Amino acid sequence: MARAPESRSRFTRRLARLWEGLHPTPRFRRQVLRGLLVAGIFVAFVAILTSLYGTVILRYVLAGFVTSSFVIVAAIGLTVLYGIRGFANFAYGDIMTLGAYIALLVSLGGISIVWGALVAFVVVGLVGVLLEVVIFSRLEGRGPVPPIVASVGLALIIQNAIRVIATTRPYLYPYPRVQDIPIAPGVGIGPYSQIATLGVGLLFMISAHVLLKYTNLGKAMRATADNLELAKATGIDTKRVTYAAWVVSCSFASTAGVLIGVSAVVSPTLGFDSLLLIFAAVIVGGIGSPYGAMLGGLLVGLSQEMSVPVLLWLGSSGILQLEHPDAIKAAVPFMILIVVLILRPWGIAGRRPTFARRAFFIERLSRVLGERGPIANPPTDDQGEG
Amino acid sequence: MAATPGRSRSAQTSSAQGIAIAIIFVIAITPAIVGQIVLPSGVIKPLSTQGLPGTLINIGFYISISIIFAILALGFNLQWGYTGLFNAGVAGFYLIGAYVAAFAITAPSPPIVIANVVVYPGHLGGYSLPFVAGAILAMIASGGTAAVLALPALRLRADYLAIATLAFAVILQIFARNLTSLTGGAIGVVLIPKPIELQPPSAFFNTMTIIGIGAAVLLFLLLLLQFISESPWGRVLRAVREDEEATMALGKNTFRYKLQAFALGGAVMGLAGALYASTVGYVQESYFAPAVTFSVWVMVIVGGSGNNRGVIIGAFLIYGLEWFSVQMKDYFTDFGDQIFYVRLMVVGALLILLILFRPEGILRETKRVLR
Repeated sequence: MARAPESRSRFTRRLARLWEGLHPTPRFRRQVLRGLLVAGIFVAFVAILTSLYGTVILRYVLAGFVTSSFVIVAAIGLTVLYGIRGFANFAYGDIMTLGAYIALLVSLGGISIVWGALVAFVVVGLVGVLLEVVIFSRLEGRGPVPPIVASVGLALIIQNAIRVIATTRPYLYPYPRVQDIPIAPGVGIGPYSQIATLGVGLLFMISAHVLLKYTNLGKAMRATADNLELAKATGIDTKRVTYAAWVVSCSFASTAGVLIGVSAVVSPTLGFDSLLLIFAAVIVGGIGSPYGAMLGGLLVGLSQEMSVPVLLWLGSSGILQLEHPDAIKAAVPFMILIVVLILRPWGIAGRRPTFARRAFFIERLSRVLGERGPIANPPTDDQGEG
Repeated sequence: MAATPGRSRSAQTSSAQGIAIAIIFVIAITPAIVGQIVLPSGVIKPLSTQGLPGTLINIGFYISISIIFAILALGFNLQWGYTGLFNAGVAGFYLIGAYVAAFAITAPSPPIVIANVVVYPGHLGGYSLPFVAGAILAMIASGGTAAVLALPALRLRADYLAIATLAFAVILQIFARNLTSLTGGAIGVVLIPKPIELQPPSAFFNTMTIIGIGAAVLLFLLLLLQFISESPWGRVLRAVREDEEATMALGKNTFRYKLQAFALGGAVMGLAGALYASTVGYVQESYFAPAVTFSVWVMVIVGGSGNNRGVIIGAFLIYGLEWFSVQMKDYFTDFGDQIFYVRLMVVGALLILLILFRPEGILRETKRVLR
């Protein structure tokens, strides 16, 4: 019986250590609270809409989540490259299209589209390394505009090569077209086109988190994105990190392209048409921040799809005279993008760049001087145990 | 070549510019003539059907559209070549200019409804104003929009500015397609009158008057921009491009200079839009795609950013490529639209190769030294 309190205390100690391992800094706690608050407001908003207009409105919410899942996959890839190479890759949309067509080519042989997506994942990743070696490494250190111009040239080449080779006709991926599974009155969910897209989106979010947080490569990538010179000085092989960033970026792009092809059709402008949507997600979340890209992708995707009922209402009540009210939904993310660029160019999830840099140096300085930050255990705790 | 007399004084400048313009026109007409000679006569369908006048109209069409692109390139050169503001929304300002001019100078066009089906939704305006008024309105609208957009956007870094302006252009295109009762939707604005309507109408003399007007406008703009770039104001713009913080330290309000350059460049693009509306006779939103912006980039990079004469040569060359592809399409009918895509691939490859190996273009910017 005497062991019970001791074991309990060991258990609580372990719990406490786990809690400390999660770094519950005040900022982290504030962010969690803020996230819960936003999620609560969103759920309440959807609930109010549902009670007003019936469950049909859930169709748009579902479409929003499906859109945001491929936007998130693409935005993570784009932001990783943006953070490390420091330029806006305007060819990203067409790299997505390339992935979609490679998957199509493979699946035309009668193989499942999953294999096609895997082949595209590998091939397009290697294409990314090739691009860095042949074009973009030569433009390093010449400011942001030359790489943008080169990437636009690359976009034109890829897009029009696809048009010449595969013609402009749209293709459908070969997967069984089955009836939607009803989940609420008037709302159905497609097992292949929607559930699979959501699942793959979630899988890629988790794998990006694991890659960046728990592997050496991911840590090196984050360090390089933070400060290239400092990363070089600490012995990180930044050349290898750059190649890795191209591989991650382009393979994520190929999967995003396949996801768009699965939920719609495969066409030569599939990627370019969604490029600005992805840029919007990346900038809204803060450039170079993968978690910001996830948040931004969610915001952009949901707002685009959920603006459709609003636009339909505006069109039907004669406030705006629109022939196709839902065509204007494509303009909604750009408006969010322009507003965010004006008000918070460092993104909704990011911090002001100067402040972030200062905080980074203070943290680093304190680590060099051997002083322990508020995150680590206070020294008295260890001494009490011993 | 023609660009070397950059350090010449104003007395020499005009003769040097005369030579430059002569060279430009020789280069301009070359692809057109080659297109006519290489291809057997009679295969060029769209404009030339009978002999010499048809051929001249075809070449005239090429020259008139090239002049419009040259004006666009001059506007972009003022923004990027001189001031370093990377505008990816050239097509947007072009669109504003074209639509505003079209609204101003067309006759009223009510919606056409046949058996409860809207055949044509009508469009805004229809004031039948003279062309000059339309062009001025287009410049005011385009320049004003550029100024309003610049107020927030110019505080951004170059890559953010590119994304913001590209988004602006795409939004404008979406609105022009979907606000059907204002813009005529996918049909657009049609039956736009020529600047000078000839009596009796003659396609040949119409083309020639348009070329005359366009060439006059281009010459005036070239001289104006050349004068501006040599003035103290232009010197500040180049200083902003080279080192904004140093310019600020010299006591210049760099934001004001950037705003002025951006708005002036936007107004020049609006003028190009007005000329386009009047030259072609109709305005459709599908024409103002981002590809127009990318073409203008290539023109400026090929010609030499920061060199006004160079970008005009670039415009004539790159539009010559497009025009040539149209001719080839008529020649090789079994190619279909492939030739257009091949042309865009060539444009893309040119962008990459030039930015890698010759970023200064054909005519490099004239070096200026302190005297």
